Amino acid sequence: MSKPAKKEGKAPTYRIPADSPWASAWKLAAGLGAVGVAASVAGMFIDAHRFAFSWLFAFMFFLALGLGGLFFTLGQHLTGAGWGVPLRRTAEMLMSGLPVFLVLSAPIFIHMHELYPWLEHHGAEHGADHGGGHDEGHGGAHGGHDEHGLLGIAASAARADELPRDPWDQRPHERAPETRTHTPEHAMHAEIMSTKGWYLNQGFFFIRAGIYFIAWILLAYFFFTWSTRQDKEKGLALTKRMETAAPFATFVFGFSLTFAAFDWMMALEPSWYSTIYGVIYFAIAAIIAHATIILLTLGMSRAGIFGDAISVEHFHDIGKLLHGFVIFWAYVSVSQFLLIWYAGIPEEATYYHLRWWGGGSWMNVSVILVVAGFVIPFFLLMSRNFKRNLPWLGFAAAWILVMQVVQLYWLVMPYAEQTGLVETQLRLHWLDFAAFVGVGGVYMAVVLWNMTRFPLVPVGDPRLSRGLHHEVV
Amino acid sequence: MASESQKKGAQSPETRPLLFLAEYETAGDVFHAAEHVRDAGYEKWDVHTPFPVHGMDKAMGLKDSKVAWIVLVMGLTGCTTAFLMMWWMNGHDYPLVIGGKPGFSLPSMIPVMFELTVLLSAFGAVFGMLGINQLPKHWHPVFFSDRFERCSDDRFFISIEAADPKFDLEETKALLEGTHPSHVELISEEVEQ
Repeated sequence: MSKPAKKEGKAPTYRIPADSPWASAWKLAAGLGAVGVAASVAGMFIDAHRFAFSWLFAFMFFLALGLGGLFFTLGQHLTGAGWGVPLRRTAEMLMSGLPVFLVLSAPIFIHMHELYPWLEHHGAEHGADHGGGHDEGHGGAHGGHDEHGLLGIAASAARADELPRDPWDQRPHERAPETRTHTPEHAMHAEIMSTKGWYLNQGFFFIRAGIYFIAWILLAYFFFTWSTRQDKEKGLALTKRMETAAPFATFVFGFSLTFAAFDWMMALEPSWYSTIYGVIYFAIAAIIAHATIILLTLGMSRAGIFGDAISVEHFHDIGKLLHGFVIFWAYVSVSQFLLIWYAGIPEEATYYHLRWWGGGSWMNVSVILVVAGFVIPFFLLMSRNFKRNLPWLGFAAAWILVMQVVQLYWLVMPYAEQTGLVETQLRLHWLDFAAFVGVGGVYMAVVLWNMTRFPLVPVGDPRLSRGLHHEVV
Repeated sequence: MASESQKKGAQSPETRPLLFLAEYETAGDVFHAAEHVRDAGYEKWDVHTPFPVHGMDKAMGLKDSKVAWIVLVMGLTGCTTAFLMMWWMNGHDYPLVIGGKPGFSLPSMIPVMFELTVLLSAFGAVFGMLGINQLPKHWHPVFFSDRFERCSDDRFFISIEAADPKFDLEETKALLEGTHPSHVELISEEVEQ
């Protein structure tokens, strides 16, 4: 309305010009990815245990980015929104990298014995691989127990009687060394584990992983090809098809993301569970995707690729969404924490105990996540003027993205150095960086390469003109 | 009634003008008229439309709403109040052991701090908005106009109040008539002795 008469000339194509640095950005990403993957593979032969955890951490971060892109795309079709149409293609590009994760997940499945303690429990139950390779806690008086071999959960209820005082009053490092892995909670945890075998077993684990990948690849394929086909076909038919498919696709997305988070991250501590865990991972995915969309579109519109298709109005709106999802993430994280903190039940409290009293500097990381992950971004994005100040918005998005890397690290890595049920340490390893660059480089190479092949705005979408003239009232 | 008061206003010295009301037929007309009134430097005036017209706040030269500041102050007040209240009650004045937790313990305060922040912010947003808009308002001079009823249907209006320092019977009328209105009327009220 404010600028009704644009100068009529050749219609913008919204493609990356061949001489733009963005046109060869995928080569840089691919190069970095190749170096990262090579270093990670070398690290795998040096320290397979650490490699598995570093890779899982990097994998779950970039998977969240891809899934977040899928969520943004589905959300646009669910709501039939006009404002976000010029931004939707960027989200679709993030989504288009999802099939790569099928390949990138290979190290997790190859080295799953390094990651998931329930595998050994399962093996022990069937008499195979009894006590598999762990050097601690098998000397208990109750040799007949089946629950041996679980990392740090070597059951020995009999030893409980020998404890000098109530073990709950003591932090792990205050206890006498020989009682550290022989406390009553270990017996309890072993018992919990024996009821989870029907879900946490290798066969079912692989079947579920296959289902997730099939679901994600199909969703990404269909929503990407429909949208890019509309660039040429124009018309309302494909929009209607995508809007019809979106509700069902959202259910598939929600369930697959939730159970993938259960299977690949929550199962790192198999005796612990939280029903809101999948929601937290969803919030992480939404935050990462919104922040990345802001940074990518900001960089590309600086280079003039978007013309005037994306204005401060769009950045203002997606900035609001980012702000909202940061609050949502904090809300669901606190929800999980409060229930566990209030109840104070041992088998639930281990999760936070590990990350607070567990050792090393994990307590500091936990505090950083609260303050720098929530409180600071909350004020960084609060004001309308902040969100409309594009360098400021870019800074806030980058800040939030870094904090979500820390969040993923906090979720996965305490188990990498775990020496007891609630004992670990914080140790940065070069493999963490190598795996992050490797997974991220390969995934981003695919995303950035796709960006060179298609218009970066859905030029065939009938709602595009509404999105172009979008204004925040 | 409105036309009567208007006629009287033209003749009798015992009336005083309240506002000029200009009627427009399209949103585009009222939009450009608003830009003219804004550029003429009027302060106490308003645009009445049957539906939200995008960009009107710019055409009217409206500044950012102050509601955000009210909400910020109210939210911080709520957060601090909850913290102080729980610190005083649970931590100091009457500590109770609940679930084996210390009396003064931050995690247990988070829900209350959050809820009171949200509650007072919402109050600030709703009542701040109503206050700044001077709502609820049961009476306004524009109701004297019969034509104004079409404001909820298919007509667009600009009203300039006589309380505006730049208000002038001739000049304001000339300004409004220069913006292609379909009708301009002066609304007056009788002055009681």
